[in-house]
Amino acid sequence: MSAVATDIQRLREELRDRGATVKTTELPPAERVARVKEVFARRLDGNMATYLETCLHCGMCAEVCHFYEATGEGKYTPIYKVEPLRRFYRRELAPMGWLRKLVMRDITPADLDEWQKLVYDACTQCARCDMICPMGIQISPMIAVMREAIAEAGMQPAENKALAKEVLEKGTLMGVGPEDYRRVAADLAAQGIVVPLDKPKARVVMLMSAMDAMLFTSAIAATAKIMNRLGLDWTFRTNAGDAAVFDWTSGDERAKAAALRKIVAETVDAGASTLIVPECGHGYAAVRWDGANVVGAELPFEVLSISEFVGREIEAGRLKVKPLPAGKSVTYHDPCKIGRWSGVFEEPRSALKALGVEIREMESHAKTNYCCGGGAGLVLNERANKLRAGAFHIKMREADATGAGSVVTACGHCRMTFIAGAQHANWQKPIESLVELVAANLA
Amino acid sequence: MTLLEFARGPGMQWALVIFLVGVAWRLVGTFLIARRRDLSKPKGTAYVKAGARSMIMRSIPPHELEKNIQFQHLTGYAWHLGFFATLLLFGPHVPFFQQFLGFGWPTLPNIVVLVIAGFTLAILIALVVRRIIHPVMRQISTLDDWIAVFLVIIPLVTGFLSYAHIGVMGVRYETLLGLHILSIEALLVWFPFSKLMHLFFTFPSRYQIGVSMERKGVKA
Ligand code: SF4
Ligand code: SF4
Repeated sequence: MSAVATDIQRLREELRDRGATVKTTELPPAERVARVKEVFARRLDGNMATYLETCLHCGMCAEVCHFYEATGEGKYTPIYKVEPLRRFYRRELAPMGWLRKLVMRDITPADLDEWQKLVYDACTQCARCDMICPMGIQISPMIAVMREAIAEAGMQPAENKALAKEVLEKGTLMGVGPEDYRRVAADLAAQGIVVPLDKPKARVVMLMSAMDAMLFTSAIAATAKIMNRLGLDWTFRTNAGDAAVFDWTSGDERAKAAALRKIVAETVDAGASTLIVPECGHGYAAVRWDGANVVGAELPFEVLSISEFVGREIEAGRLKVKPLPAGKSVTYHDPCKIGRWSGVFEEPRSALKALGVEIREMESHAKTNYCCGGGAGLVLNERANKLRAGAFHIKMREADATGAGSVVTACGHCRMTFIAGAQHANWQKPIESLVELVAANLA
Repeated sequence: MTLLEFARGPGMQWALVIFLVGVAWRLVGTFLIARRRDLSKPKGTAYVKAGARSMIMRSIPPHELEKNIQFQHLTGYAWHLGFFATLLLFGPHVPFFQQFLGFGWPTLPNIVVLVIAGFTLAILIALVVRRIIHPVMRQISTLDDWIAVFLVIIPLVTGFLSYAHIGVMGVRYETLLGLHILSIEALLVWFPFSKLMHLFFTFPSRYQIGVSMERKGVKA
């Protein structure tokens, strides 16, 4: 087993064991249902109402969801994953709800048990289903509401509870905190790579990812090299916490909001005009789209993902790279949260083009890309092992069909999923990080 | 008052009232639900263009998404077209509309419409069978789905019977025609309470996703 794959397996086990030790008081069933409904009532808005009014039950969304495709089981139909939300809407909020109440049963505690598994183990919030629905229904944000409701009822997987508790109480993730970031910086400094930590003021603030600190310090080194080469006034803020905003994936809104507030406060404190999120899809989507809403005001800085930033700098001619030897072909895996969630498709491809590699696109790429199967926390969820492997198989098939020499991606989460998935399936394709590929070939 | 007289007179009037009031109620009630203000900085702001684009492009998805759903897609288009062609372009139907609207329009030869209606019925029956046996459809179907498809099939069946003047078990032609009109009225009455409302919701919903993905810089 590769060292990283072993580490990922160890992380999964550690997380499972930690989950087993979180003490939570189980809420009475009626209270759980009440809390779920309270979240539904708070989150449902006019857009979701229109979507929930429109569904035809045509089943087409199932045909593009990797979990249904991999299993053939109807319960993995995307819109079915939000059935309790639909039920609540139809009975309690929709026009004619009073009429429906006569014939439609209420949400039961047993429903919550069932949907807890569907939304946490069988959805990566990849949003591929959003791209097909003939009615234009956007399902993935509703799945996020489902997760939040289940978390509010105290029913999210124990692993997620453990992580949310840690973020709220200690501000660390998987035990990784400011000291570890300082240690990584010191290690890199010993290799001659300058990593400016905690500068009081800087034009650019870069976030650290706990996963990178644990598994891919090479990505942190690569980022530092690029920032230094550009001669930017930049810094890592160790108190900003983990870039992944892991609770975005766990559905724990309080923990997510706490993490985002910290990131925003640190960036504002540094007086930065740009915040760059490392190779982490969740972190980018969380800060980019939820940051302002959590703090209740527009952000006074720009939020970019590192692949977006690097691509732009290369396009603008500020960052120069040397072409790789001819004959290297790659396929680019668009991380869902960076691609379909955030519209970053061109910039990473520009970087690859500048490197002179041949990009062989998968049949489903850019906005129709298949998720790797590990998004929204699934990569660390042991319960989802089988489903994840099925989804990964689809990804593997598409990547193989390109005949490309390697898979390049721009998200540590995807990278972990690929490495662990390849190990499990005995797949030999090398997995590369975009930022590392660029940093290794600076002109 | 015979069944036919009831169907043509008060039956139709009440059905139309329920249809119009119900549709308005449901549309207004849904669109009045507040939308959330999003403070994040949008990537794209050409909202109207994006919304309009999605309204059209959702009908022709990219191949990699389309390839698994070709059957549903084609049959879906085909039966909707067939149903509306039968409703609006059948010779005997137009005078009926004319009496409400005051004007008529050209029709297709009866035999053509009968063939179209036959195909439409066949597709609908195939889709019912699919709803019964397909794992996804079994999982997600609700009573509304069954009632809706039943209410779409019945006018076609009664229409065939009355056109062919086939008396079933001694039922007279006038009664069959009355039943045919009543079946359309049942469809109208059920309409505002059911998924048939997608006729009015589809385009607003497509527009919404176009706008919401435009904010994120994605053409949806
Ligand atoms: S594709 Fe759209 S309309 Fe069809 S079942 Fe899924 S969500 Fe409903
Ligand atoms: S968001 Fe992705 S994983 Fe979730 S239901 Fe949709 S297609 Fe499936």
